[in-house]
Amino acid sequence: MRERLQIKHVSLRYPFLLALVLLVVAMLLNLLLQPNLLELRVLNGNLRTFLPLIFVAVGQTIVILGSGIDLSIGAIVSLVTAVLVTRMSLDASAGQIVLVILLACGVGMAAGALNGFGVAWLRLPPIVTTYATAFIFSGLALWILPRPGGSMPETFARWYRQATPLGIPLGIWIAAALILAWYFLRGTRYGSNLFAVGGNAQAAYATAVPVTRVLFSTYVISGLMAALAALALTLGTSSGDPRIGEAMTLDSIVAVVLGGTRLSGGQGGIAGSILGVIILGLIRNIISFANVPSWYQTLVDALIIIIALAAPGFIQLLRRRRV
Amino acid sequence: METIKSLKLNPPLIALLLAVALFFLGGLIQPGFLNINQAFNILRLAAFLGIIAAGQTLVILSGGEGIDLSIGAVVTLAAILTFRINDGQNTMVLPAMAVALLAGTFIGLLNGVGVAFLRVPPLVMTLGMAGVVQGLILAITQGEMIGDTAPVMGRFISSPLVFGIPGVIFIWFILAGLIWLLLERSAYGKQLYAIGVNRTTARLSGVRVPVMVIITYTLSGLLAAFGGFMLLGFTQTVFMNLGGPYLFPSVAAVVVGGTALSGGKGSYWGTMAGALVLTLITSLLTTMQLPQAFRQMTLGVILLVLISVYGRQRGLRQ
Amino acid sequence: MAENHVSLSAQHIVKRYGGVLALSDGSLEVQSGEVVALLGANGSGKSTLSKVITGVVAPNEGQLILDGQPVVFASPQGAKNRGIAVVYQELSLIPDMTVAENIWLSHQPLKWGIYVDKKAVQTGTQELIDLFAGTVQPSLQAGEPVSALPPDERQIVEILKALSLDPRLIILDEATASLDSRQVNRLFDLIENWKEQGKAIVFVSHRMDEIFRIADRAVVLRNGRTVGGAVISETDENELVNMMVGDAAAVPRRLAHQPVPAGAPIRLRLQDIHSDVLQGVSLEVHDGELLGIGGLQGQGQSNLLHAVFGDIPFTGDMTLSSAGTGGALRVHFSHPRQAMEHDIAFVPGDRGNEGLLLIRSILENIQLPSWKGYGFPLRMEAARADATQIADDLSLVRESLDAPVSSLSGGNAQKVVIGKWLLRRPKLLLLNDPTKGVDVHTKREFYNLLAELRQEGTAILFYSSDDEELLGLCDRVLVLLDGRISAELSGETLTHSQLVSASMSTGHLEAAAS
Repeated sequence: MRERLQIKHVSLRYPFLLALVLLVVAMLLNLLLQPNLLELRVLNGNLRTFLPLIFVAVGQTIVILGSGIDLSIGAIVSLVTAVLVTRMSLDASAGQIVLVILLACGVGMAAGALNGFGVAWLRLPPIVTTYATAFIFSGLALWILPRPGGSMPETFARWYRQATPLGIPLGIWIAAALILAWYFLRGTRYGSNLFAVGGNAQAAYATAVPVTRVLFSTYVISGLMAALAALALTLGTSSGDPRIGEAMTLDSIVAVVLGGTRLSGGQGGIAGSILGVIILGLIRNIISFANVPSWYQTLVDALIIIIALAAPGFIQLLRRRRV
Repeated sequence: METIKSLKLNPPLIALLLAVALFFLGGLIQPGFLNINQAFNILRLAAFLGIIAAGQTLVILSGGEGIDLSIGAVVTLAAILTFRINDGQNTMVLPAMAVALLAGTFIGLLNGVGVAFLRVPPLVMTLGMAGVVQGLILAITQGEMIGDTAPVMGRFISSPLVFGIPGVIFIWFILAGLIWLLLERSAYGKQLYAIGVNRTTARLSGVRVPVMVIITYTLSGLLAAFGGFMLLGFTQTVFMNLGGPYLFPSVAAVVVGGTALSGGKGSYWGTMAGALVLTLITSLLTTMQLPQAFRQMTLGVILLVLISVYGRQRGLRQ
Repeated sequence: MAENHVSLSAQHIVKRYGGVLALSDGSLEVQSGEVVALLGANGSGKSTLSKVITGVVAPNEGQLILDGQPVVFASPQGAKNRGIAVVYQELSLIPDMTVAENIWLSHQPLKWGIYVDKKAVQTGTQELIDLFAGTVQPSLQAGEPVSALPPDERQIVEILKALSLDPRLIILDEATASLDSRQVNRLFDLIENWKEQGKAIVFVSHRMDEIFRIADRAVVLRNGRTVGGAVISETDENELVNMMVGDAAAVPRRLAHQPVPAGAPIRLRLQDIHSDVLQGVSLEVHDGELLGIGGLQGQGQSNLLHAVFGDIPFTGDMTLSSAGTGGALRVHFSHPRQAMEHDIAFVPGDRGNEGLLLIRSILENIQLPSWKGYGFPLRMEAARADATQIADDLSLVRESLDAPVSSLSGGNAQKVVIGKWLLRRPKLLLLNDPTKGVDVHTKREFYNLLAELRQEGTAILFYSSDDEELLGLCDRVLVLLDGRISAELSGETLTHSQLVSASMSTGHLEAAAS
């Protein structure tokens, strides 16, 4: 009995260990098919592609830790993309750029606040609520930006694409910053409140944890992360697509699952989710380099997603059968 | 006061009254709206949504945060399969339908197994499965929509059949009767409500919960496929996202109809009334010539308002 | 000690939950240095009153006066800020968080105003755990996830959680239910200390013996009203029970024993049953026998019943006598449905979560296990008639069979749970602590029902956490300890002291002392 507890402890404290293993495997496979994977330029390019989803996965993780879910996060990305691209003029000064970025973050947080209001204050069920707001946000995005287009200031975009401070890709710096911020957060009262709300909201309430405020904040953070993702996207591609966010919602959930965070809340962390994003990205690289016929690529991608989603349950099933 | 109270407790009735009100509203906005043909048209459109939303009703009733987000993709798949196998031949209608229903049933079965045995949350499982079905559609069609609809389908489904009423409406009501039998006069139905309310009690009363879950999601896939088959009889053509626009309204229709999102309470009558309401809203929005984006936002707002009225969960503080 | 006198007065509290009036006139007064016991039958409102005092629930009318000033609590935080702490029986612990994390949740000591001071948490937790040293297993550590603890230790963590606030007023709401006698003794020692420190304590309980040990005064609630009080040293049990129950009838302490008819066939035989908790249990139950299962909570009693009913996996031999033919049938159920098909029934103690579909109708609840027998389409008239029959047999007070079960009182709701099984005429009835939290009147009806069933030849396996109940009803009691049967008591050995000592072996004491 003691031994089983130890393993359970380890997986509680470091849920991303499995993800780490998967990451190594995916990297090796990818290296096989694409030997220049670790070349700085290629690495930078890959990380740039992953970064938007990393932000989204981080936001989704925090919402899921609080036992909620954000089905609108992709739509918020689309919305902020539309705002960014239509508000940002190509010859904007540094000050104007900052203002537009702040506006983008504001829009993201406002969208998150709508979700938070519904789920935390009105006690609406998260799934259907964020499903509804996803429609609202994506509709709004389409309204603001009916067709893909627009652009970002050239110098800004170029800096973003090429920046490798101290020889390390910008993407890694940002991911590291996120992880550091997370570990700090976990050591605060807010952090333990978050896990408490996700673990047992009723008990947390009876223990005077400000459950409503905590839940609300998770959705606002998620909106902010979506806004940052939109920024990374538009800088990376130098254009805006109002439908860009559609697939990101499911992808973010897959990343969270791969990273070991429990979907019912109360357990996990963002480190695993970031690893999950990278694993997913590497797998997609593998698919495209493995010369899968184009008409089958969507199917293969979807199958891998389903397998990833079903895997934790499958492992649990085997464990249960063994008892 | 009593009447108002009993109205609040009867969401299908409210939805029905709302539908009637919306119909008259349509008459205000566009003269000529209020005629019997338009009414049949609305009913016809609602029938497709209603049939597609039947499975969604069952899944949501089953509780456990049940939802089926793969319905849209299954509708499309069923229509495409029917279109291809049918190839315009009346004789091939039944075999085509059989294949389409089989496909839908199988997808539903996979959903059910994933939810029941692999403990994947329904949201995640069906969302993922939707992706697989879409990938399957791409792989099967490779971008080409080969085939044709059989004339008999159009005649019996969407053209006026008896007294000017299209066949699908009769089919819809027959389906409603069957679903009523299933929900209210069968052990499956009673057990479905039970697992929607409290799965522990259900199990300790002898209900085999995983079996019930699998059956329910399988039925959802089957009904969605049937809906796709019917839809083909109306659209007479297929394209990549045929069923997509029906997914969100299927959830909304169930909510409008008063079925609790947590499960264990509700009926198909409610979903039918809900389908009517949603079809009317969409028609009105189209009549007002609002852009697609605005229509989307409106639907989202409506669902949000609905769940605020019907779907609030118990507060932490009482 | 500095001036830290505290006094609380709850006056004429009214609380409605939707259409149900939980409290119509609840009042309570307590001050520093005293223990006030709050008594009442199930549904009397005592839990609601304590929830109002602790800010979990807002009263509709009435007021709270704290230290002479009226107060309104907007949330549990409000009550906490004023030094009121509560220990519930339904635990407010987060399963995957550690003991330390749970104890200090939402009021951790902080470094630099924002970062949790891990060291202070560690030492603080250890100090608190040491208060119960010698009464708990070494497994109770600061870093242990609460989900790994047995119920008694979880209850203790709940108590420590309240203490970590250094409260002025402590409410213990049925807090001793999961504790064994040593732990209760230690708790009472601590309560005496708290009295000396000037704290005020409210002790909500239905355990008379404990109330008479620890309380100074008693306040009695009945049907949502405070009907009276007494000074403990000047009153006795009967007087308090009379106030609780409202009529002069005393609780029957010992019911007439019914010896098992000689030669009664064995209905159920278990041999060497092992499960995740059970470590080799063997027993036999005869037709017409009421076999009791006792012992401290969490020793495997509930687990055993769930295993027999096919709800949890187990290994070992299980044999049922086949109906009337005298032959024996080896069985092994993997689902309750199979047990039901062999005429076994299971009445859970937690009826809200395990026995009822609260929002569905009485009819649907009663027939839930039995719909398959009514064909397709369901013969509703027959189902209704059968349900009516059983409801009448049990004197179920109801508006109509179509009313939701949630509209019934506690005692009647329990009748629905029992009724749904009696409808199937089970040959073996498993009762999992069915009278926990049930009022005296319903309990009496229940005992009579059990006697009737025994007359008809039903075999009954009865787990109760109430020792008095076991002693009063059963001819034979098996005491479970650590998943094994530690003693079989009957006849002369069936006494309270034997029951208690069989519940705690010397081995248990040794392990705790090391």
